[in-house]
Amino acid sequence: MTNNIMTPSFNSSYDIAIIGAGPAGMSAAITATKAGARVVVLDDKPRSGGQIYRNVDASPLAKPAVLGADYLKGGEITATFKRCAAEHIHGVNVWHAGDNGELLFSLDGETQRLTARQIIVATGAMERPFPIPGWHLPGVMSAGSAQVMLKSDGLVRDGAVFAGTGPLLYLIVAQYLRLGVKVKALVDTTPKQNYLSSMSEITGAMSAPGMLIKGLGLMNEIRKSDTKVYRFAEGLEVQGEEACKNLSFNISGRKHEIVTEHLFLHQGVIPNLNMTQALGLKHTWCEQQLCWKPETDSWGQSSQGVIAVAGDSSGIVGADSAAAMGRICALRQLVNIGLITAQQAEHEAADDLNFMLKQQRFRRFIDRLYRPLEQHRKPTDDQTVVCRCEERTVKDLKQGFALGGREPNQLKSQTRCGMGPCQGRMCGHTVSELLAEWRNEPVADVGYYRLRSPMRLVTLQELSRFTNLTPVTTVDRAFSGTSDSDVDENKEQELAQ
Amino acid sequence: MFRSLNDKQNQRSLVNLTINEKWVTAPQGQTVWAAMALAGETSTRLSPVTLKARSAYCAMGVCFECMIEINGMPNQQACLSEVKEGMDVRFQEITEQTSLLNPSGSVSTLAKSTGGNHDE
Repeated sequence: MTNNIMTPSFNSSYDIAIIGAGPAGMSAAITATKAGARVVVLDDKPRSGGQIYRNVDASPLAKPAVLGADYLKGGEITATFKRCAAEHIHGVNVWHAGDNGELLFSLDGETQRLTARQIIVATGAMERPFPIPGWHLPGVMSAGSAQVMLKSDGLVRDGAVFAGTGPLLYLIVAQYLRLGVKVKALVDTTPKQNYLSSMSEITGAMSAPGMLIKGLGLMNEIRKSDTKVYRFAEGLEVQGEEACKNLSFNISGRKHEIVTEHLFLHQGVIPNLNMTQALGLKHTWCEQQLCWKPETDSWGQSSQGVIAVAGDSSGIVGADSAAAMGRICALRQLVNIGLITAQQAEHEAADDLNFMLKQQRFRRFIDRLYRPLEQHRKPTDDQTVVCRCEERTVKDLKQGFALGGREPNQLKSQTRCGMGPCQGRMCGHTVSELLAEWRNEPVADVGYYRLRSPMRLVTLQELSRFTNLTPVTTVDRAFSGTSDSDVDENKEQELAQ
Repeated sequence: MFRSLNDKQNQRSLVNLTINEKWVTAPQGQTVWAAMALAGETSTRLSPVTLKARSAYCAMGVCFECMIEINGMPNQQACLSEVKEGMDVRFQEITEQTSLLNPSGSVSTLAKSTGGNHDE
């Protein structure tokens, strides 16, 4: 390379580049390197494991076992991943990925470039926004943050209130209780009717009885403690001028209030979309999970030839399915680059594909049971902040809508909603759903923000020092030696059956 | 109040840093956000329009609420940064007003600090 950037300690071209080192990314790397592929894995955290297995090999806790067996088992895959031949680049922000196999990322304030014949996006999940009055106040955090802080730094918050719905909420409360950390209250917003409606999926849930038992176990653990549990809560509101002081909610029409400066909110997880959106992949609205997800086939293949999406970034599947999906994606791409045959891939992926089908049936049950309340997804109160970065409220959005902001990008230019540093991560789903309601049309017709690189904050200085921005239009040009695109297409057809 | 259950603190080497000009000690590998939370310095930045203090929300890099100034460089995510010896961590005050008064203000600070690092 002839440019003024630092000499990179990694190669500049690979067979497969994997973005994200959670269960999906790690297992994809293990499978791909076993078959002899040259693999690079990029992750924005200092350690591999993703959010779910965060710091599993370097826990700050004396007895990490209190975090549960599901966490501990991440130790094995993390160790195998570390031993595999893949190149790991940690602590870097990938700020551009192209459908030509090009990746640009920041390493110590310098932009680096590499290319790969295939890309697997495994950027995981994030928590669904919880846009209620006062959710932007200091003192209010997400329940996922409580887990991340516990796993990575052993950081806990005494006397906090946990509110919302979903397995992760009960898990972190149970983990706090096991560690002797006082929980002031659990305010459960799972509506009564969800227990009834989810019963139609109970046979599916029975296909994964272990998961069901684990869930019930967590609830029992919480009930046995002296933690105050409120069920069937709705109409959550946070009060406070400068910071969180109070949480109020209704149960069967009766108002309740809890004085607290520490509140953790949670109502499920959604795919971390920014990478797949900026790549221009086709996305669809998933009514079952109430989120946007990239379109993929059962092999994780996206609408773009060289890009696969694995794990929760393809739609919420959970850690075990994410690992299975990582292996499946890798097998498919190994076929694409000619390292294994389609028959080998079919054979090796059979168990994982079956496992994923079973898990999907269980997921339908979970999604139905913990479907978040409409009022907690589509705020009606004028003062509620929707866009935290630019401080845009429901009222601002209504005005923008009246001025012609009928789809997310128009609304964004009308109001600046979604224009801040989080790039719509914290408001995108709320905006899609609100506009659908105001237009009285399906969310699928409303769409999502159009996102572009850079996907992370990059300084102008870094950009100005990065001089070798030579756009490459096709993978074949980037890898002048490979002219087997016809062969690849045949293989794709073979796999698609 | 935040509290640490980090039982292995004494096994890890410690670093010294300042948070809003207050010296604190933190184990190597700790996130800047955790160091701030334990020091009771939970405010990260002023919100750009209403000028109210904000604090971390997600602690996993997606909400950008914990943007702070590290060694003169603004817009650093405290939850994704690790503590380093001698680090200078400050509450961030970039708002619509400050960028109107001095549109190149943040950029020139940036240039200074990045340039400094680059010379080393």
